[in-house]
Amino acid sequence: MGEVNKSRRLFLTALGTTVVGIGIGYAIGYLSKPAEMVEKTITSTVTKTVTATPGVTPPPVGLSGAATRALEGVRDLLNRGVITPGTTIKILHVAGSRAQLEKAIELWRQYVPEVNVELITLGQEPDVYTKAMAEAVTKAGTFDIATIFSTWFGDIVEAGLAKPLDEYYAKYDPEYTGPCAPIEPLGSYVTIYKGKRHSLVLDSDVFTLSYRKDLIEDPAYKSEFRAQYGKDLNVPDTWEDLIDMAEFFYNKSLTAPSGGRVYGAYFYAEPAFAAYITWLNIFIEAGGIPFDLETMDPKVDSPEGRYAFDIMLRLRPYMPPEAITAGWADLYDKFIKGETVFTAAWPSLTKEAMRPTSLVKDVAGSALLPGVIVNGKLVRAAPNPVNWIGIVSNYSKYPELSYLFLQFATAPDTGLEVILAGVILDLFRECWFKDPAYRPKSAEGYGEEFIDVYMESLKISFPDILIRGGTEYLSKLTTEVNSVMAGIKDPEVALSDVSAEWDSITRKYGVDEQLEAWRGLAQLFPDDIKDVWRAKGYMR
Amino acid sequence: MPEKPPREVKYLATLPVNILLNAVLIIPFAIMIYLAFLKWSPAMGMPWWEAPIIGLTNFARALGDARFIAALGRTALYTVGVVAIEFFLGLALAYTMLGDFIGKKAAIAITIYPLMLPPVVVATIFYLMFQSYGPVNNLFLRAIMGEEALRIYWFLKPDTAFITLLIADIWQWTPFMFLIMYSALSAVPKRLVEAAEVLGARSFTIFWRVRMPLIKPLIVVALVLRGLEAFKMFDYAFIMTGGGPGITTETVSMYIYRTAILYTDISYAAAMSLMILAMIIVIVRAFIWYFFEKGR
Repeated sequence: MGEVNKSRRLFLTALGTTVVGIGIGYAIGYLSKPAEMVEKTITSTVTKTVTATPGVTPPPVGLSGAATRALEGVRDLLNRGVITPGTTIKILHVAGSRAQLEKAIELWRQYVPEVNVELITLGQEPDVYTKAMAEAVTKAGTFDIATIFSTWFGDIVEAGLAKPLDEYYAKYDPEYTGPCAPIEPLGSYVTIYKGKRHSLVLDSDVFTLSYRKDLIEDPAYKSEFRAQYGKDLNVPDTWEDLIDMAEFFYNKSLTAPSGGRVYGAYFYAEPAFAAYITWLNIFIEAGGIPFDLETMDPKVDSPEGRYAFDIMLRLRPYMPPEAITAGWADLYDKFIKGETVFTAAWPSLTKEAMRPTSLVKDVAGSALLPGVIVNGKLVRAAPNPVNWIGIVSNYSKYPELSYLFLQFATAPDTGLEVILAGVILDLFRECWFKDPAYRPKSAEGYGEEFIDVYMESLKISFPDILIRGGTEYLSKLTTEVNSVMAGIKDPEVALSDVSAEWDSITRKYGVDEQLEAWRGLAQLFPDDIKDVWRAKGYMR
Repeated sequence: MPEKPPREVKYLATLPVNILLNAVLIIPFAIMIYLAFLKWSPAMGMPWWEAPIIGLTNFARALGDARFIAALGRTALYTVGVVAIEFFLGLALAYTMLGDFIGKKAAIAITIYPLMLPPVVVATIFYLMFQSYGPVNNLFLRAIMGEEALRIYWFLKPDTAFITLLIADIWQWTPFMFLIMYSALSAVPKRLVEAAEVLGARSFTIFWRVRMPLIKPLIVVALVLRGLEAFKMFDYAFIMTGGGPGITTETVSMYIYRTAILYTDISYAAAMSLMILAMIIVIVRAFIWYFFEKGR
């Protein structure tokens, strides 16, 4: 009996101590909070008790107009009861962009703690496409936002997944005009499909030329090159110049900082997906047009198509054989080891080249891609393969809120912070390059020289084939380009095969439908290219 | 004698399994068959049940699709090649390990270890091994050919690229054949072998006349299982060659994957899959008939 009493007493003592302890701890914690937090807690409690209207922390002074309007939009949705505190939106995205999207969510939570944003992270890019297309079929509302390759844009819009955003653009103004707008023509061609806005720009993926400055600027090589080729060794303006320089350095049999051989050039020719990029770049610069604007007939089997192959085949002897066999990342590997003099890739190559582990950290230069002389004029263009864009799902329960998140995450102030938080998404707004308020941050991430070159590259950038079947058109082109570069197919046969394949894809989706989309897209190509098309009679 | 349960109880008892089977197997398969007769891609912007029925057009298209036929031929060649080599190597290894020797258990464990690796890992390892600076050139071939070995680019030519795929497959899957052959050979009654030895039969005769007839059913099972698996090969080509150069190492699985996933041509991919299924059923059935039922 005594034991029982003792146990009960002990239990009651322990319980009492715990309760008192928690009480004292809570009181100490409460009293030690900063005054504004106490006030916030009270406000929040009162708000929850008295009224259903929650607060959105007002944006601090200095946040840009587009971000402010997005936050005001959210506040309005909350006030009107369109959404309630605790609402969650979900973003489908690829793992590589996680750090940057997490940054966007972190910023969002500072102002809109009531609305949760969750990430649905997928490992590989094609998984995003598959899941997005599956959602277009099932209409299950699995996600509210998807970050997609612009190459899939046509498929995703035509499948009915991407919500038209013109209404929201008009209502909230994401700053697509004015000094901080996305640089044109990129800002238009990755967001407009058949004349309507269906996405927001998250990124830019425009190619630039990267080169070994130490070799190009070496006085001994300069004089030797001049003596041998009768022209100056400089950053090449044309592909013809680049071939000479690539040959010159290849024949030198130089040893790279890594101990490997230095190749003259490395441009994409690999079989999995990237070979089309090099060919299409030269083809477009030469004045080629992918499809006839009247009939939608493929126009790749043309003098411009043959010229593109001619340049690539003349470059091939000076490129590493891995350019034809290895995955896309091999180009990065070889450049940062100093094993290629000239190469072209996405902006992330520059970021990689700037890392402390890079062997070309102090000698990597950036320039516009070489061009082609057409009718006596140098025509330059820069491909923008697989640019990431954000779409709002047509099956989202919160389309307006989802749009507002995208606007917030890509607005001038917040967007730059998001971009600098990772490597997949890159600069696209003009003020990030020019405005003293933003430029130092951009330069810190990319380097002063690169951001000037990159801004100019964005202005001459052209889109992938952003119409329905875009991936299929480009994938079949890649196969043929790789076959030619591997020496297993004649360029003439390859061009004829591409033409037949493209025609079959067009017919599968309907000539009229495809023509409408292509006409819309062709208008969004850079002006220089359209001028050449007009001069050649390809465009009216 | 307990009473038999009423028929309704039987149906109710098996209902959950029936629902599960229908949901995960039969209904999707039926939808796939239906899709093969449609003209449908998600990018067409209409639900599949509203897509136009085009009869056998997708099947006819496949028969006229040079890329599909080439992939089919290549995959058949690959399957016959790897299964034959793996069978003979597996059988030879199994026969070698039949007797007792020191370290036998360790030898068997090491032999079957490649089976434990995911194919994607094996593909990556072999991709790196066959680089021009990789160990195949740098260690093995350099010892024979000298510096010239470093200029061999295995993935640059269709034939050599195809050979790398065969080697990766053989390395990983020979142990599978070994495992089955070893179990089969171990199960042959010793008294039969001893009787043959007493009668003066030579080792080869014993192997050919005594052991082989007894393990024939297991050989057929091993060949069918391995053949089915090899025919579906995707990982090695996807990782090591990307189907290239061009499409010269593209297998039929890879082509169907590209058609369905990258090109979203779901109906056509469904038709090609059904054709492959039909072909496999016919071949396997003929195989089984030849080895088990013919002359019974």
